[in-house]
Order: sequence, then C-alpha cells, then structure tokens
Amino acid sequence: MVRKPVDNTASGRSTLSFLLSLEATAIRRPSSGKMIWGSIFFTWLISLLPWRLWPPAPDLLLLVILFWCLNEPRRVGMFTAFVLGLLMDVHDAGLLGGHALAYTLAAYGAVTLTRRLQRFNAVVQALHMLPVVLVAEAASHFIHAWLAGEWAGWQWVWSALLTVALWPLADILLLLPQRRLDEVDPGQG
Amino acid sequence: MQEHGTIRLFKRGPTAEFRLFVLVLLSLALLVVDSRWNVLNPARQAISVVIYPFQRFVLAPRDFVARFDNWTDAASLARTEKEALQRQRIELAQIATHAAQLSAENQQLRRLLKVAETVSQPSVAVEVLYEPPNAFSHHLIFNKGTTSGIRPGMPVIDEGGVVGQIVRVTPFTSEAALLTDEKVSIPVQVLRNGLRLIAFGGNVSGKVEVRYLTADADIRSGDTLITSGIGGYFPAGLLVAKVDHVERDAGSGFALAVASPLSHPERYRHFLVLKVDVSKQQSVGAGTDGSKTGR
Repeated sequence: MVRKPVDNTASGRSTLSFLLSLEATAIRRPSSGKMIWGSIFFTWLISLLPWRLWPPAPDLLLLVILFWCLNEPRRVGMFTAFVLGLLMDVHDAGLLGGHALAYTLAAYGAVTLTRRLQRFNAVVQALHMLPVVLVAEAASHFIHAWLAGEWAGWQWVWSALLTVALWPLADILLLLPQRRLDEVDPGQG
Repeated sequence: MQEHGTIRLFKRGPTAEFRLFVLVLLSLALLVVDSRWNVLNPARQAISVVIYPFQRFVLAPRDFVARFDNWTDAASLARTEKEALQRQRIELAQIATHAAQLSAENQQLRRLLKVAETVSQPSVAVEVLYEPPNAFSHHLIFNKGTTSGIRPGMPVIDEGGVVGQIVRVTPFTSEAALLTDEKVSIPVQVLRNGLRLIAFGGNVSGKVEVRYLTADADIRSGDTLITSGIGGYFPAGLLVAKVDHVERDAGSGFALAVASPLSHPERYRHFLVLKVDVSKQQSVGAGTDGSKTGR
C-alpha cells in the first residue's frame, strides 16, 4: 500500500503521517461529531419506516449505536443507547424499556470491548459483537416474556445475526470520511 | 485509545459499570411499571408527540407515492366506479323502498316495545399511520388522537363491521387493538337467534373465538355474530364475525366456536372511530384497559 501525504494542511497530523511508523498510522483520528450524530439520526429515521415488520429484519439503529460505542466510546455510550431505545419503544407501541434494556446492555458490551477491538478488522469485531448482541437481545426478550406472559418465538435470533452480519458494511460506510482523508485503512491494525 | 496511560486522571463521570447498573435498573423499572399500570402514559404521550413529526416526515414519500398512484389511476377508477355505482343504484333503489317499509314497521314495533330509539353515532374517520412491529399484539396506529376527540375504549369499524378498539391515545395519534388481538373481548349476539355471547381474540391468528359455551348451545357454522350492545363500549348491531366451525368437547361439557372477522383491517387504510360516550365507563373500563394496553 502506498501512502502519500495529503495536501490537507488543516490538520498537522496528515501532512506528517508518512513520517510515522507503520503501527502509528493505524491510529485513527476521531470521527466528526456531525458524522456520528448524523448517522445515528438518519438510522433512527430509517427505523421508523415499516420495513421492520419483517420479524428477522436487522436492527440497524442498534448496529450504528454499537459501532459508535466501539469506535467513539467517549461520545456515544449507554445513555445514548438507552434514550434511543426508549424512542423505539414508543414508536413500536411495546412495553417501555424493552428496547432500552437491550440497547443499554449491548452498548455496555461494546464500551467494555472497545480497547480490545479497535485495532481489529471489521469481521473480527463483528464476531466479537455477536455474543454481545445475542445476550442483550435475549435478556430483553426473556424479561419481556416473563412480564407479558407470552413468548414471541426465536425470530429475534435471526435479527441479531443479520444485524451483526452488517457490521463490516457499517464499518465501510461510517468510516468512509476518514478513509478518504488519509487513504490509510484503519481496520488493518 | 490514545489516553491509555492517563485513564484515572481524565476519566470523567461514573464508571461504566455504575452507569450500566443505573440504566438497566431504570429499564427494568419501566418494564415492570408499564406492564402493570398506566402511570407511564403521560411520558409515552410526550415522547410520542416529539417523534410524531419525524414519523410523518419519513412516511411522507410513501403517502406521496400513494397519492400519485391514486391520481394516475383516477380516470380508470372513476369509470369503473361509475359503472359499479350505476349498478348499485338500481339495486339500492329496490332495497331502499324495501328498507323504508321495514323502517316504518320497525319504528312502530319499537314504539310498541317502548325500546329507546337508537341515536345515530357521531364518528371520526381515521387513516392508518403505521403498523407497529410488535410480535405480541395486533395493533394499528391511526393519524388522529385526543385533539380529534378520540378516547381509549372507542370502537373502530370499517364497512365490514367491527375492526377493534382504541386502547391508547396521544394528542395526534391513537392505537387500536384489532378484534383478533387476544386482549380484546366483545359482547356479541348470534344474529339468527339472539344468543348472547362474548367473543375473544383467538389463539389462532386472524380468528375470533367464542369460548365458554355450553355443549348444547345453539350456534353453528355460518352464523353471523353481531355486537349485543351490552357493556356499553360497542353500540348494538355492528357486524363482528362469521362462525367457521364449532368444536364441541363432550368430555368437558363446553363448546368453542371459531369465527372469522367480517372486517378487513389489512386491506384498507381508512377506518371510522365511533365516538361513543366512554366517560361513564372509564371507571369500570380502566382496569381492563390497563391489562389490554400493557402488553
């Protein structure tokens, strides 16, 4: 891979990036706030559309929240996940707290794994996130089943699998601005 | 990552575990409270009002496409409708004369029986905003709420008959549980012989069940069920369902009738909410409504 200096003199780091060692270049600069909150807001809007009626539909909002929890744990964390979960609960007209619980638990998993996983590529990250999403969703569904006295079936497992399967795609799309700037693949740590 | 060496120094706020504990506890509290009581409804309404503009915004393209579709089809639709209407007019003319005759006779009979004359019900037309993706219940969200005078408990009908019942309202939206939702129960009557029963949302999806019949109850497949008007929420005489089959269990001495709803909530987007007076039922209905809405 050929690294060349970019004529972006606004930030000193990119002009000097070719001087740094190979490992050091893998450290990403932080994503912009616009990108983070914009992507979360956009995914939330998308989640209001009726495509989620299909039971194994992936939870894109959870995917984006987890992605930012992992990559920007200073900005996006459990509280964001909790609030967005509540919004989804109201939209879905379900019990208040169901989505909030699942999102909070999954976000905790992502936040605690962040140091371990940031240098790995997207596929390994996805493999690590699979149990996190499964456990979080399972907890939410079991408690829901206990309170509501009925079991909604196992379709949510497919939903969790699909959600995690889309992780590499999220990685490509959400880190696109950084890749364009310095043309260094931050996933190849 | 960059702050690897300075974790303690720059760490802000409580630890992740503490935050997790608080938020999980909060979620669980919300879940338990919301499944048992209605006290969280104001919070739900507030959030719902906040997200309502976004819901309308993202659904706008769909509504636009539907409107555009309607517009392009308008000419052919108008032609076919005109023919259908013409045919209907002829048929209706006959029925109308017949009905006039019957209504006169009926009024006379009612006077004779000293039955209170049924008043025509005020109603409000609503449109489906969206169907919530919820595996546990069959609900629909409509585009009008308390600002249009809709209250929990009001029945929802379409041209086929009873569709369901409003279970939750916010200022701009309302949520209806369909007949087939297992939390809904309706007092009904067999049209053929006036037998009074209660219909429940079925265990079989898309069906209505009449339970707790005595084994010799006079009900058979093909019977039409109409609302009996007992209980106050549903006005009498609305079509509800047609009986598919009756399962008689000689062992227990009880029978179970399975019926298909006559309304078609999955086909159209417009419905009518009957503005029955639910205020006096409120005290009675609050408990049952809670169990309905909570799940």
